[in-house]
Amino acid sequence: MPSTQVPPIAGAAIDPPSLRPPIDDAVIERAAPSELRSRLETLKAGGYAMLLDLGAVDYLGRAPRFDVVYHLLALAAKVATVVEIGTPTRVRILCGVDEGQSLPTVSDLWKSADWAEREVYDLFGIRFDGHPDLRRIQMPYDWVGHPLRKDYPMRGPALERAPRPAFANKTNVVAGSPPSGRTLEALQEQVKRVREGRP
Amino acid sequence: MTLSATPPPEIIAQTENTMVLSMGPQHPSTHGVLQIVLEIDSENVVKADPEIGYLHTGIEKSAEGLFWTQAQTVIERMDYLAPSSNALCYALAVEKLLGITEGIPERAQTIRVLIGELTRIASHCVWLGTHGIDLGAISVFFYCFDLRENILDLQEAAGGARMHPNYVRVGGLNGDLPDGYLARLDALIEKFPGRMRELRGLLQANPIFQDRTIDIGVLTPEEAVQWNVTGPSLRASGVAYDVRKAFPYCGYQTYDLEIPTRTEGDAYARFLVRLDEMDQSIRLIEQTRRRLDTPGPVMIDDPKVALPPKETIALSMEALIHHFKLISEGFRVPPGDVYQSVESPRGELGYYIVSNGENKPYRIRTRPPSMYNLQALKGIAPGNLIADLVVMIGSLDPVFGEVDR
Repeated sequence: MPSTQVPPIAGAAIDPPSLRPPIDDAVIERAAPSELRSRLETLKAGGYAMLLDLGAVDYLGRAPRFDVVYHLLALAAKVATVVEIGTPTRVRILCGVDEGQSLPTVSDLWKSADWAEREVYDLFGIRFDGHPDLRRIQMPYDWVGHPLRKDYPMRGPALERAPRPAFANKTNVVAGSPPSGRTLEALQEQVKRVREGRP
Repeated sequence: MTLSATPPPEIIAQTENTMVLSMGPQHPSTHGVLQIVLEIDSENVVKADPEIGYLHTGIEKSAEGLFWTQAQTVIERMDYLAPSSNALCYALAVEKLLGITEGIPERAQTIRVLIGELTRIASHCVWLGTHGIDLGAISVFFYCFDLRENILDLQEAAGGARMHPNYVRVGGLNGDLPDGYLARLDALIEKFPGRMRELRGLLQANPIFQDRTIDIGVLTPEEAVQWNVTGPSLRASGVAYDVRKAFPYCGYQTYDLEIPTRTEGDAYARFLVRLDEMDQSIRLIEQTRRRLDTPGPVMIDDPKVALPPKETIALSMEALIHHFKLISEGFRVPPGDVYQSVESPRGELGYYIVSNGENKPYRIRTRPPSMYNLQALKGIAPGNLIADLVVMIGSLDPVFGEVDR
């Protein structure tokens, strides 16, 4: 499918999380898909009782293509005062997944992972082995494609087939180019044509 | 691209003694567009399966095609009852990526706390009013919306719009508070305790309300943590987790703030916790009010992010160019990823943002508190009456703009 949304990724910025030292208070780890499940089980046994969030990012052009991101919060279930809670800690686990590869489910460890995994499957097409009910959640059941992938057109497949003029294509606007949406090269080419009297 | 459209499965198997009933998506008590596929045995719910996605508008996808500043416009539309919480969380996350967290002026931080707490009260007003209507108490709704109206007037005065003011910006705020704002804020602080007494008087000791909510939809602390419930619903189950205390932002650690908790974990406890939270919010607002007498800047002094003052644009060529560049191509954010969360009226609202160094966000992942809270319905609905399901949905306070995004 032709893409209009792929942002220009400079060679260095293709894997942004690895570029920069962590800037928030979470402990950040990377885990391979094979050891993910045991790592999460260890963390859960070690007090990380809450799976705060489960999401994904598509780094098109990188191998592995996707990162599935787990945010865990250490929180005891019976703490009725703020003093007892103190400052809980957060852990972020990034797990690289390639297209067609699947991950083990954690919906048996944390009930909340049920919808979160369904959403990642729906919008990115990453499958979770062992999930009891892996079906689409946000998009209709008969939808084709996974909208949050970077090669999925912004305006949807149907609209994308209708061509529209380049100047109306906002995704062409990158820093350093004129706001008309045309690239600098195209603009210089046009100026040159006018000066040389070419049509 | 893999084409993996799953055919609609048999969601719930029907047996001899049960029938399947679809509740919603146009049901008045579902607070938006929620469908719940219920398996019922006479009036009792055997299994409940919420179907979400009717309001899916692709906000996360849209944001990837907008400049960092523009993306905030769609971000604010997620939780439409507390738009400023969304904007605040987003701004904090982008500021972390930009590395300018230290440079945000003191006054901007104070006003952010003020806006955040005003939004919390306004949002809880809508919750309380509609929760009352679900149970047949119509009059509460009018009292709540009168109070909310005052807050929306303040929002309009500060940001220019009632619903989506877009007032909190990356780097600070979109302008200082207007003249006369503080006097109106004082009037609100004055009016609040009396109005709150009336609201409590209408429902808190009301025997019908108590009958309908006590011991309904009980979430034990273990279950609440398992289901990833946050916010007032978690605190009503006896877990005092509040992002404002656990991971303070905007200087919340410098305010005197109590976190109301209950241990019952039922719908009535969630009701009480939210009411207490409104009282705490007005206490915070009083504290910010005292700090707002000293004037100061409300936008960071960093031309990379902040627009030049409007007065200089007509006089200075550099300011005009600067303004034009920031509007036409935005600012670039250094590559990296960050997770930032705030305590929104519904719970922990978080953004996991990835930047690849461009002038647009690469990926914005929301941690939607409403979605996780609503998911707990699967755990608490079975075994209850259909009529109690309405109470449970109301007490979990989902907002579907955020559940579906």
